[in-house]
Amino acid sequence: MSAPLVYLDYAASTPVDKRVVALMSALSVGADTFANASSVHAAGRRAQAIVREAARQLSKCLGTAPERLVWTSGATESNNLAIAGAAHYRATRRTGGKHLITMRTEHKSVTDVFRALEGRGFDVTWLAPGPDGRLATDTLRQALRDDTQLVSLMHVNNETGVIQDIAAIGALCRDAGVLFHVDAAQSLGKLPIELEYLPVDLMSVTAHKVYGPKGIGALYIADRPGCHVEPLLFGGGQQDRLRPGTLPVPLIAGFGAAAAIAELAMEADHAHAQRLSERLWHGIRDLPGVAMTALAELTYPGILSVNIEDVEGESLLLGLEPLCVATGSACNSRDQEPSSVLRALGLDDKRAQSTIRFSFGRATTNADIDLAVQRYRDTVVKLRNLAPERVA
Amino acid sequence: MNASRDPVASEPYSAELRRLFERPLHAGELDGAYRVYIDEQGVRIALFAELDGAGAAPVIRQLRFQAWGCPHLIAAAEAFCRDFEGQPLAALADFNESGLMQSLDVPVVKTSRILVLVDAVRLLCRTIHESPTFSTGHKPDAP
Repeated sequence: MSAPLVYLDYAASTPVDKRVVALMSALSVGADTFANASSVHAAGRRAQAIVREAARQLSKCLGTAPERLVWTSGATESNNLAIAGAAHYRATRRTGGKHLITMRTEHKSVTDVFRALEGRGFDVTWLAPGPDGRLATDTLRQALRDDTQLVSLMHVNNETGVIQDIAAIGALCRDAGVLFHVDAAQSLGKLPIELEYLPVDLMSVTAHKVYGPKGIGALYIADRPGCHVEPLLFGGGQQDRLRPGTLPVPLIAGFGAAAAIAELAMEADHAHAQRLSERLWHGIRDLPGVAMTALAELTYPGILSVNIEDVEGESLLLGLEPLCVATGSACNSRDQEPSSVLRALGLDDKRAQSTIRFSFGRATTNADIDLAVQRYRDTVVKLRNLAPERVA
Repeated sequence: MNASRDPVASEPYSAELRRLFERPLHAGELDGAYRVYIDEQGVRIALFAELDGAGAAPVIRQLRFQAWGCPHLIAAAEAFCRDFEGQPLAALADFNESGLMQSLDVPVVKTSRILVLVDAVRLLCRTIHESPTFSTGHKPDAP
């Protein structure tokens, strides 16, 4: 019989909170709640009320107003809508400028949109992070041009946990009259976000990283002149035609409930993640050649990325089973190429391939961490014993 | 259906590969044995061989390996040692990657890693045959 899995990949996805499951289940079959939220009859109005309540819950977690949110299928769609939608709107309706800025360490759901825009005549500047993984404001200042329309970066990096200073970056963008988009897939419900005060124009969020269901996300669009996106989809009048399609009421309700729970649990979740991260690092830090990929004080503690000298990454990952952890980019872990994010931080290919991302959640226990420590140590020792001495 | 478009990750390792990777019984060194070492394609491998008999029909008494690389390389090296211990030395001449890749279900993208093992086996054959101790039946000096 195979060993029970130990899930340490919460940055990839989280289990749905049981309270959220109960709510969604009830809404999916309830005679007065399954209706189309766009219908004008009584059942439709009840469904619309459920959507409004979810928007209130999510907007409270984000520190903004419910009407600023557009429901999407997840962070990937939100990122596409924000970046492509804003780029096209600005290029065609406003200034005509086609310069965009992002970082090399962004998620593929951002970088691939920018690559597609490059193929459609946009000029993209790809900024490298500093050695600490963060974007220096001076670096951004030097990249801004008169025709720059949009800057996009992620709040918490999904591979390293590095937190970007979105307040400082946003202030710089606002001074320059440039839209600022933030991919907050990893930070919603984990770090305080007050969009009423933050100089952020567009923010992508998703439910499944915060104990909500898969298949539902949202895009925040600030109520500011020039802050608008062109729709990517056509076919209905829902959501002011920005994102047409019948609203998935149970998923939206689940997202709202998950956001409300996350807001209440944020402090306790953060402290729990901090304790687990420290416990794991203290258990392996004496191994020769092991290093944190990013400084702990600059990262969200729910993500601990470690790399190690002279240990092959794929064998390390297999040796760690039954731990469920990530190597390279979690969303693309079948790719044999070293992570571009880790290479942008200065890791060579072998270091990048040896990098393991542990990520923790509410259900992670000390026993899980102790098993992770034991498996990591045992596997590193085994693989090093297996390796031949280098011969010149 | 085009496999490259399959959105669901399939099992990347066969049960046999997992078993060999988990318990590489032939991992290690042999003092005073024939030894070869290759460092290429981003992997490193060393093979060790002890023979019984000399002259026309020597037999491989023991094989050991050391490897730095992916699970496919480690499992393939273990499978090679397991399969060829006790075989006539001449059997090594027939060793190639196709049988191993099939039995371990090694993906095509990993062919280059398995070819490093094939190169190491060929180098081992050559080293043995070119060794001045081979024809006399004496064990070689430790490298």
